[in-house]
Amino acid sequence: MAVTKESLDDLARSAKPRARWLQAVLDFTWQRPIGALGAFIILFMSLVALGANWLAPFDALTTDYAAMLSGPDGKHWLGTDAYGRDVMSRIIYGSRTALIVGIGASFIGATLGALIGVASAYFGGRIDMVVQRIMDVVISFPLIILALAVVAILGTGVFNVILAIAVPMIPRCARVVRSSALSVREMPYVDAARAAGFRDSRIVLRHMLPNVMAPYLIMLTAFLGQAILLEASLSFLGLGVQEPVAAWGLMLRGAAVEFAETAPWMAIFPGLAITLAVFGFNLFGDSLRDALDPRLRTQ
Amino acid sequence: MLYYIFKRLLLMIPTLLGVAVLIFLLLRVVPGDVVEARYLTQGSQFQSQNLMDLERKKLGLDQPMWKQFTGWMGGVLRLDFGLSMWTGAPITEEIKLRFALSLQLAIMATVVATLLAIPLGIIAAIKQDTWVDYAVRVFSIAGLAIPSFWLGILMILAMLIIFKWLPPMVYTPFWINPWDNLAQLIWPALAVGYRYSAVATRMMRSAMLEVLREDYIRTARAKGLWLKLILVRHAMKNAMLPVITVVGLEFAFLMSGLVVTEQVFNLNGLGLLFVEAISHRDYTLTQALVLIAASVFIFVNFATDIAYAWLDPRIRYR
Repeated sequence: MAVTKESLDDLARSAKPRARWLQAVLDFTWQRPIGALGAFIILFMSLVALGANWLAPFDALTTDYAAMLSGPDGKHWLGTDAYGRDVMSRIIYGSRTALIVGIGASFIGATLGALIGVASAYFGGRIDMVVQRIMDVVISFPLIILALAVVAILGTGVFNVILAIAVPMIPRCARVVRSSALSVREMPYVDAARAAGFRDSRIVLRHMLPNVMAPYLIMLTAFLGQAILLEASLSFLGLGVQEPVAAWGLMLRGAAVEFAETAPWMAIFPGLAITLAVFGFNLFGDSLRDALDPRLRTQ
Repeated sequence: MLYYIFKRLLLMIPTLLGVAVLIFLLLRVVPGDVVEARYLTQGSQFQSQNLMDLERKKLGLDQPMWKQFTGWMGGVLRLDFGLSMWTGAPITEEIKLRFALSLQLAIMATVVATLLAIPLGIIAAIKQDTWVDYAVRVFSIAGLAIPSFWLGILMILAMLIIFKWLPPMVYTPFWINPWDNLAQLIWPALAVGYRYSAVATRMMRSAMLEVLREDYIRTARAKGLWLKLILVRHAMKNAMLPVITVVGLEFAFLMSGLVVTEQVFNLNGLGLLFVEAISHRDYTLTQALVLIAASVFIFVNFATDIAYAWLDPRIRYR
């Protein structure tokens, strides 16, 4: 997964002034309409999350026992839940939780993974072997089981959920980044840096890390959708974000299942929100991967 | 080949040992233990320290960590996982029936996934860039995005509203009443299997596309061979390789899917047991479950690699 000429060109183009940047966005849209659709969904979701205060018709936490479990109507477009809270408002506020957890967890997981991967490749030898064995061990924990264990240690809540989702992602990213970093290590400029007497940390951070940006970005975007899904699963199990915070997985828990027959809106709409968000991130991630790494295109 | 298999089997031991150490330490870092968890649920927070210490002593929690660990490992080597700290029952007994349920579900979901992935992938590849291809791709990408537990909720909802029927809620082993058993398990298997099939479908499609461009396919067609025969005998057989790998690798997702889906369908499987064990701080049970999950995962990966080498003689491992 070497850094290709195309990806370098892309990076160079994105660094140029605004007109070029706009051109790149237009090119991307033209060449990869599906990816652009994903980007559009992400943009839409981000705007909704940012403008939740203005967009949501009700407060996400206000209970209205007079309107418990009322169906979609002119006042509550998507109905209310068992506490009389407006489902649409909770979905709108829930996009904040999903984005914070999704972006936070993927960023922490992918970045730590990339650092470990690059350092492991750079030092090589025994250090590399030990690090790889440790990564093997962590990978053999099924994703959700490791996340559950971390939640059990740290306790629930938004920040702990971010860490719980980030931890299982570290070894997965470290593996992919390491394999690219192995070829970067053989580059003359790394030898040059070493000959110039730079410290190891400087070579790793300043010389090697920027050159594994392509796999890093690919892993980061691939994680985003997964992280949102994992957060929803954890919250659904009652081990993620806690009530009364608005979170999509949490909205599907408990009453949504119990009253599914009489109040199906409680079960349907939050799930749709999760699906749409993950769909958008996956589409965008796939297209970005194709654009950054043409060798993977067929997959 | 035999040497390779042997080497891989040996390499599993340090990985599993690492898993054991990691989960052992993780659990002991968790605040609170089973004794506290029990007394807090009973609502009597004012239990005397003496009584709690006595209880800990009974469970062996007062012993030094290395002693607890070697004791546990010694048992595991004799396939004895000890007693559950929460219920006091032998873990082997606790796990037995639930393992049968989860394993059956896992196998059924894998079958569903494969049955979806292979034909869909082939059709999409043959009809590349037509609406059929796009439909299949959207279907598979959607499979990755839809949470399997939500799909499960929707299934239950649909059956309730349309057919006024619910799948049986009590688990019957397959050998007692296969009909009831399948009527209950087919739904979670479909919900999990659909998601599981997504990556495999895409893999099948791209592998087919690659294979269809090969010279030997052109030769076969030039010979005037029947198209179906070419597809099945020549193309599919070769395109299956990466699909097998993906099905093996995705097994990890399958297990995660099961944990959540069991909750939706009220299935008393390993996933539910795990969630309970962790919230009870039942060290022995959690350790056993994690070790089993990791062993299954590692073994499936291993089996995938071996199957790969066996099916493709061009691959030689050293």
